[in-house]
Amino acid sequence: MRITLLMADITRQKRKRNFTPYMLIAPAILFLAAFFAYPMVQGLILAVYDDEANLPILDEASLAADQVAKLPQGTSVDILGQQGNTIEGEITNDLLTEQWFRVTATDPSGETLDGWAPETRIRIRSEAEDGTPLTGTVRAVLGADADPLTSLRAEPSERAEVVGQVEARETVDITGVAVLEVWFNVRAVDAGGSSVEGWAPSRFIRAFSSGEEGRVDRGTDGEFTTRFISKMVDDRFFGPAWRTTLLLMAIILPLQFMLALVMALVIHARIKATSMFLYVFSLPMGMSDLAVGILFFSIFTGNGLLNSILEGLGLIDDPKLFLSADTRNWIIAAIVLAELWRATSIVMVIVVSGLQAIPDETLEAAELFGASYWQRVRYIMLPLLKPSLQVALILRTILAFQVFAVVIALGGGEIVTVLANETYRQYFFLRDNNVASAYALFILLLSLGSSFFYLRTVRSQGELAKS
Amino acid sequence: MTSVADSIATDPVVTERKQRPTWGRIGTYVAGFAIGIWILAPIYFLFSMAFTTQEEVRSYPKGVWPFIPFSTDTMRFFLEADGVLSGLFNSVAVAVITLVLSTAIAAPAGYAISRYLFPGRDIFRLGILAVRAFPIVVLSIPLAVLFIRTGMFDSVFSLALMHTALALPTSILIIASVFASVPYELEEAGQVFGASSWQSFRHIVLPLVIPGIAASSVFTFVLSWNEVFAASILTLENRTLPALLLNQLSQSSDAYQFAGGFFLMVPSLIFMFFIRKYLFNMWGQVSK
Repeated sequence: MRITLLMADITRQKRKRNFTPYMLIAPAILFLAAFFAYPMVQGLILAVYDDEANLPILDEASLAADQVAKLPQGTSVDILGQQGNTIEGEITNDLLTEQWFRVTATDPSGETLDGWAPETRIRIRSEAEDGTPLTGTVRAVLGADADPLTSLRAEPSERAEVVGQVEARETVDITGVAVLEVWFNVRAVDAGGSSVEGWAPSRFIRAFSSGEEGRVDRGTDGEFTTRFISKMVDDRFFGPAWRTTLLLMAIILPLQFMLALVMALVIHARIKATSMFLYVFSLPMGMSDLAVGILFFSIFTGNGLLNSILEGLGLIDDPKLFLSADTRNWIIAAIVLAELWRATSIVMVIVVSGLQAIPDETLEAAELFGASYWQRVRYIMLPLLKPSLQVALILRTILAFQVFAVVIALGGGEIVTVLANETYRQYFFLRDNNVASAYALFILLLSLGSSFFYLRTVRSQGELAKS
Repeated sequence: MTSVADSIATDPVVTERKQRPTWGRIGTYVAGFAIGIWILAPIYFLFSMAFTTQEEVRSYPKGVWPFIPFSTDTMRFFLEADGVLSGLFNSVAVAVITLVLSTAIAAPAGYAISRYLFPGRDIFRLGILAVRAFPIVVLSIPLAVLFIRTGMFDSVFSLALMHTALALPTSILIIASVFASVPYELEEAGQVFGASSWQSFRHIVLPLVIPGIAASSVFTFVLSWNEVFAASILTLENRTLPALLLNQLSQSSDAYQFAGGFFLMVPSLIFMFFIRKYLFNMWGQVSK
């Protein structure tokens, strides 16, 4: 009886707990979805999707009009005419606009008219204190065949019904102002090679100074494209960037793992000073790559520590320039040292925790059978460390693709450049989000590819047994 | 897992290997000190440059052992430079918001994956590990586009949101390992003696995990304080210190850079001291 009660109690408790863990992890999942998964997907889309690829051309100056054709971004167009239209979409400072005035005026027959006229036909004569126009005169129209009369319309639009006409130099009262976006009437050759004519808002078209020709600045219709990726591949920094990134990795990673192993063995030796050594060895772990870049800049710069030491030892007479455009190899050496200095600690920590997992008995047994220290490291510790080394290798490779501030601090980012730096340059200096995203996508693919490669090749028996 | 540093720090004599020949131990010390100098010498040099006169920074040669007159001249010059104080303030603000946000979100999640066996737990863990494999450069640009569109660009708070996203996976795993190091039996024992589950959490578990959670928060703070790439992409006027420094790098004097480097390093030096006991808790566990 008591046992069954207890059982019931346990099952009830279990059922009660069911939703708690989901509630506890929900905030983390939501946050990561919003600020990790969403931007990640967006970033990948930016690299292959051009949301400004095509500009629809309409048969009238109105968004409701039928579409005549699509012009790809960058198409040259002839601007045949322009017309005002109500502003649809966001208002930006550089938006090309025209004003229409609502006026009351007397027509030649003496009748009072109320209608709209564009700013090109009304000269403002007086304004209120806040700049609102109050009165004006109708402009004289020059040219032999021009209509000497100015039409007033029912709405602020060329297409609206004419309510009457007024003579030039007639005084009018201005009762209202409308600001309209200019639309261009354009003629161009579309992607299919046929000549098209239609209307488009001026915000999408960059007019040249003549005012008669222009270019499609951006469109509103998106399409998938490999344009950004080929733009990245053709970029003059792309080749140097990926080659330098891989070169740096090829030099840094082996040195780093050797150094980390030595550091880990020092810690693992359990000498008296271990906790001090551990603190010192792990110091660089918390440091930013920018700080470390500056640190090594202070050493390698013209009047820095290295030159001072070399001169103090009598090895050189004049300071040597290490970080200049002609000393590319020195810059790379400085970056290698800086990265070794900065990022070895994390490998060390992972290796030490791997070493801790090796039972003392194993090592003692080996010692008993006469294995030297080196033999114990080579034949017992290293094979057992494989899973830890694999994790460290993946982590370090991913981080190595993101090396950025060290490179800028030591080499300025032009003479020696890496992939992350190119992403930054494309975004920050060239303002090209799409190509920057293509670089980011490239880095992502390299990271995932190398992680996968390590997982497949450095697989160990121990790991398989564990999992 | 037991904290390695803990056992080393508390009784080094017991765990010391007695069979090891003396020359081996000497070799270990030599290697240790050599690596120690390799790590400390650059820090010493930069700090001495940060606390000297500007003339001294420009002077050459400085000698094998830089003989540096102590002065706050460089530091004053740096702090009085345009944007530095507000950059420092922004950096602190971003780091504190990141710390609070990520700890608040990560602590429950860490507790859940260390204490409950629930369907989806392994997927969640794996997902979090996978998230760490994604480079942050991929994140920054779409977030910048999003923030510009929603009017959140160039604000301390939105940068903190991004930093929280970066810190969250590691924070969750660290906190999970901290909770895992407190045996569930302790909590159960409390309940056996009549404490409610909240009481036994509050009075038994919490005091034991607070230091570990503090260490994880410190890690978050340092991560945010150090982060350059996203900071320089997501801010323009409200630059954090690293973003400001990176931007000024090509047109600033050596003295300015060295003093800036000093400021970037100080938090990590202090915080490494506090979290060194948890290093293996953090990275040992996270890496498995």
